[in-house]
Parts: sequence; C-alpha cells; structure tokens
Amino acid sequence: MALVGALALAATACGGGDSGATPAPEDTAAAGNGAGETTSDEQVTLRFSWWGSDARHEDTQEVIDRFEAEHPNIKIEGEYTGWGDYWDRLATTVAGGDAPDIMQHESRYLREYADRGALLDLTTVSDTLDLSELDPLVAESGAVDGAVYGVPTGINAYTLMVDPQAFEEAGLELPDDTSWTWDDFVQLAADLSENTEGYGAQDKGFNETDLQIFARQRGEDMYTEDGQLGFSQQTAADWWQVGLDLLETGGTPDASITTEVQAGGVDQSLLATNRGAMAFFWTNELGALSETSGRELQLLRYPGESEHEQPGMFFKPAMFYAVAADTPHPEEAALFVDFLLNDEQAAEIIMTDRGLPANTRIRDFVLPDLSPAEQQAADFLAEIEDELASPPPVPPVGAGEIVSIVQRINEEVLFGRLTPEEAAERFLSEANAAIG
Amino acid sequence: MSATDAAERSATGPATTPEPATSAGTPRRRRGRVAEDRRAAWLFLLPWFLGLAFITVGPILGSLYLSFTDYSLLTAPEWTGLDNYRRMLGDPRFFTSLRVTFTYVFVSVPLQLAFALLLAIVLNRGVRGLPIYRSIYYLPSLLGSSVAIAILWRRVFGAEGLVNAVLALVGIQGPGWVSHPDWALSSLIVLNVWTFGSPMVIFLAGLRQIPGMYYEAAQVDGASTWQQFRRITLPLLTPIIFFNLVLQLINAFQSFTQAFIVSGGTGGPADSTLFYTLYLYQRGFGAFDMGYASALAWVLLMIVAALTAINFLASKYWVFYGDE
Repeated sequence: MALVGALALAATACGGGDSGATPAPEDTAAAGNGAGETTSDEQVTLRFSWWGSDARHEDTQEVIDRFEAEHPNIKIEGEYTGWGDYWDRLATTVAGGDAPDIMQHESRYLREYADRGALLDLTTVSDTLDLSELDPLVAESGAVDGAVYGVPTGINAYTLMVDPQAFEEAGLELPDDTSWTWDDFVQLAADLSENTEGYGAQDKGFNETDLQIFARQRGEDMYTEDGQLGFSQQTAADWWQVGLDLLETGGTPDASITTEVQAGGVDQSLLATNRGAMAFFWTNELGALSETSGRELQLLRYPGESEHEQPGMFFKPAMFYAVAADTPHPEEAALFVDFLLNDEQAAEIIMTDRGLPANTRIRDFVLPDLSPAEQQAADFLAEIEDELASPPPVPPVGAGEIVSIVQRINEEVLFGRLTPEEAAERFLSEANAAIG
Repeated sequence: MSATDAAERSATGPATTPEPATSAGTPRRRRGRVAEDRRAAWLFLLPWFLGLAFITVGPILGSLYLSFTDYSLLTAPEWTGLDNYRRMLGDPRFFTSLRVTFTYVFVSVPLQLAFALLLAIVLNRGVRGLPIYRSIYYLPSLLGSSVAIAILWRRVFGAEGLVNAVLALVGIQGPGWVSHPDWALSSLIVLNVWTFGSPMVIFLAGLRQIPGMYYEAAQVDGASTWQQFRRITLPLLTPIIFFNLVLQLINAFQSFTQAFIVSGGTGGPADSTLFYTLYLYQRGFGAFDMGYASALAWVLLMIVAALTAINFLASKYWVFYGDE
C-alpha cells in the first residue's frame, strides 16, 4: 500500500529538518536570496486574501507565521471573509487598483480575472515557484492560452454522500454505485422517503456541477474548450426532469422546504440535520458534514456513471492560488505561493482543507495523519481516479453567474412555474448571455 | 485663516457672545463679528462640504458617467452611449424587479402609515406608561432592517417555522411563507409594516400639536368620535401624513437588506422578492456589470424623483396647512 511509502517519506522529511529533505523549492529560494537576483533582503509587505471558515482563518494565519519566521524580510498581511462576500470584495479592490498580492481563487472566476489582465502569468516566476510536483490531472487547470494564472491547491470531486444509518432504518441496502442508473436513484430516494422519517434525498438542482456531470455522462460538458456552452437543450431538459421526478415521487422534500434548506447552506442541509439520506456535495465537505451530522457518512459514485457514454465525474481543482498582475513584488509573492504549495510546514497545518493536496509529494505527506472522514475522501478519490474521463476545460468568463441562473430556474421548475423543456430553453438563453 | 486661529476664535466665541446682546455694540463692530462668525461657520461646515463633494456628489456623477459605459470593474470603462438604457427594455428581470418593488412599495407604505396612525391615536388617548409603549412600538423600527430580524423572519415564517406550527394546532397546513413564490413578498411587506415605529412617533408629535379646544368645541356641538377624527384630526394632520408618506416611499424604494437576507441574496424563490436594489446589486457585484448597474441606479433615481414630484404636486389638493 502507498501508505507505507508515504509514512517513510514523512519520516525522512521531518527528520531531515526544514530544507534538508525537501528538494528544489526552498533551495532555489535560498539561492535567490544569496545572489540577490530574484528576491532581495529588502523589507517587503504582501497581502494575501482568502475565503473560508474560522478554522481556515486560524490555520492560514499559522502558516503565515511559519513563513515569516523563515523569511524575516517578508511580512504577509491576511485578509479573509466568507465565500459570499469574497467576490464582491475582491472585484472592488481589484477595480480600485488595490488588488491583494496573493489571492485565493476559484475556477468559475479565474478566467474572468485572467482575461482582463488582473493576474500574473506564473511562468514568469518559474524560478521561484516550483510547479513540477502537481498532479497531472489538475496541473493544467489554471492554464489559459498557454499562460498559467492559478496554481491548484488541491483536488475535489462532486459526488453523492449517504447516511448509512438512514438506510438501515429504512431496511434498505446501499446501492451498487458502479452500476446504478438515474432511475435507480429516483426510485431509491422515493423508497427511503417512504420508509424513514426523513427524506430520501436533497434536491440536486442548485449546483450546476450536477448538470455538468449529467452532461458529461452523455459525452457533453458544461463548457467547450473555446468557452461556449457544451450541452444540448435536450440534456438540460432531461436533467430538470430528473429533479422533477424526485419531487413528484416524494424522494425530495416539497419546493418550499427545499428552498429553505438550500438557503441554510451546508450546516442546514438534510444530511447535516439527520433529515435526509442522500445529498450531493464536494468531497472536501465530508469532514465538516460528518461532524455536524454526528454520523459516519459514506461517499458513493454518481448515479448513471455506467449508463451512458462515459463516467461524468471529474477531479476539480478545489481552489487556486493566484498572484496579482500589478504586484510590485512578484518574486516574493511567488515565494509565498511556493511555500503554501510545496512546503511540508504549511501542509501539516492546511492538511486537506483546501482539497486533497494537488502536490503529490505533499499529498503522500499528509495522508497518514488524516481524520477518518478525510481519509475516506482521499481513498474515494484514489479509487475513482482511473475511471475518470478527460478533465473539463477552464470555465469561460461569466461562469460565476451561471450558478445563480441555475438556482433561479431550478426554483421555477420545483414550484411548477416552468416545465423542464421551458427551463432548459430559458437556461440556454440566459447562460449564453452571461458568458457571451 | 489657519485652523488654530479658528479654533481659538470659536473657543472664545461663546464666552463673548452674550456681550452684544446687552450692549448691542456699534454697527461696524457687529458687521465685523458677523463676518467672523460666518467664516467660523464655513470652517465648521467645511468637513461636511468636503464629504458631500467627495463622498456623495463625486460618486453620483461618477455613476452617471459609468451608466453610459461598459464597465466590468476589472478593466477600464468603455463608452457605449445609451446601450445600457436600451438594454433594460429587453431585460425581463429588470421588469420583474420593477413589478416586485412597486408592489412592495404601494402595498406596504399605505399599510404601514395606517397602522402607525392608528397606534399613535390610541397612544395619544393618554395611556398610562406612554413612554414605555412608545419605546416598545418603536423598537421594531430600529431592528427592522437588521440582519438578525431578517433571520428571525425566516425562522418564524419558514415552512417549518413558528407560524405554521401554530397553524398546525388548528389543523391548517400553512405554506412556506418566506420560501413560496406566492407568499414570499407578502412576508416582506408584513416585515415592513411591522417597522411602523418612526412614522408613529412623528404622528404622535403631530397629534400633540392639535389644540384641545377644537375637540371641546366639537363635543359641545355634538360631534361623534368619528366625526372629530374625520373633520379635525385628519385635516390638521395632513402635513404630517404628507411628510411621512414622502419619507417612507423613498425608504421603501431603497429597501435592500430584508430581501437580501431573507432570500440569501438571490431575490428568490423564483425572483419573487427581486427588489430593484437587489437586482442592481446582483448586476454590479455578481455579474461584474457595473455600467449596467449604474444605469439601473439612475433609472431608480428618476423613478423616485418623479414620484416625489407627483407627491408634492398632488399635495396641494389634500394637504392642509393651518395658515392657508
């Protein structure tokens, strides 16, 4: 098993001290300092902005402290908010010419910023920032037209989480997730609702990633390489039909409750409050959900993975580190990103909070110390890795808006104001306008 | 004039002001003092003027310019003339937001004012412990647009909330008041009506101004309570009603927080609470469409200005000022 190797690697890394066992990155940095070419000893202050929970804020601050201890001439000021406010704030500061030097980014927005010249092409600082250890599955995910604007922090997959205890109460077996179809899923949700006090499943129509996987199973995708919509109207209509079937067979709660559950976020989800048996989430949310629900939740493959042309699930870069195009200190900023990405001192604090580390060496380093839930997520990702079809292209400019369009139209469908066909037509026209 | 100069003068100012009142002083001295006071006044007002210029007027003019551009926040604005305004005509969500906002304003403001007036009259009857009641009824006005109340609203009026729990006791299954598109706006209207405190306090003050002898005279003539209200209270209160109407109308058009929090910023469910300001916010900060958002803001300004103008014109026909 790979675990043993990882353990051995971890042991040598810890024993070898800070820069001894870990190769390239820090050595280059040190050399740079000495030569005075890339980075100087000049006192430099950089700003790093991220979104996240309180736990992430604390952890990130500790990573910053460790970095500063190693580079006394660089001071990092942290700026953080929750996800909701983050993009308003970032857009405003960037527009005001006051962009943070280093920013946490996301694939829906990366292109928006890159295309408008707000981000630094990281190939220009490749002497300082080592990208060679990235998992090939996501290594290219921050690349736009030959330049690299974002470094993936970690890997995520959108998938189904189930509560085995609810299945037990209902007297139902967990499904065989390698072969089940969408019809099986709808049927199972209805059966669960009937035989438990809670609901079979949480509505899945509020995240466009669900549509994306549905489309990929049919050999389509959310977007094409050249930034157009990549799915047919029929696919979107079929997708909403599944949502409607779930509602009408009682597999999901009625539209009002669904809307409220949705507004409550992860913490108020049916899984978290023990009121539902199945829901779709990102794998890195398993830890938080297991904790809130107090149950040992389990990850399953998407329904329909073997039903059509190809499996639809994919590895997504959980988030990115990016550097502002107009930072006065690109080398120092790159040095910090390198620390976040490649240094075990940072990794042992961040663990899998920013996804399963995209740096494969760091991944092996953190694996032995994961909590059971994190461990399960890591194992699950490893298990499905070989099944996946090619990764989806970087979303086009305007992709950040697609989420809210999907949510709005989904509500119209659930409340019976649009048929799935009308919804698909409306979605295509609004989505085209948003990314056009 | 230096700042210390002014400070000194203003510091000595109050101490010497009683003097002219008693000795009156010569005209020339008085003129000099007036000029001096005026300078001091300007100086004290200067921060406010600077604030007005840079924080209010500047950005307002800036947004007027931006409304004629395509501006994504990240790149420089690009002049597109009237494009943004033309785009509105073909934007269904723009019209949705107008419909939602007008419904909200024209239902909630009259209800709120009627409610405020009713309570003001009741309280004006010389209730014991008036200050306590006044404070209690005023409280929602302070809290009404706060995040906490919007969240509370969700708890109380949610599909599985307090209201439906009570309804369930009598065998009625209520809808999700905040989460069903047919009801969500109504629950926000109720929220706005609930914040009747500030117009109520103003009504109370207005009622206190009406001389008691009018009522005494009317009672002598045998007027009923309703006739007293209809013939004395209401006419004499029209300036106050007018003032409250103008104020609350403008306030209601600018409502944002309630819808933002209750719907989680989406204006949902299914756009049923898409207030104009919320849509503007979504375009500007959600879709990086600041040019269009600026144009939306200016259209809102025009609408509110037009309605206020109509209000003032119409006031000639129903507002009664005692000295006319």
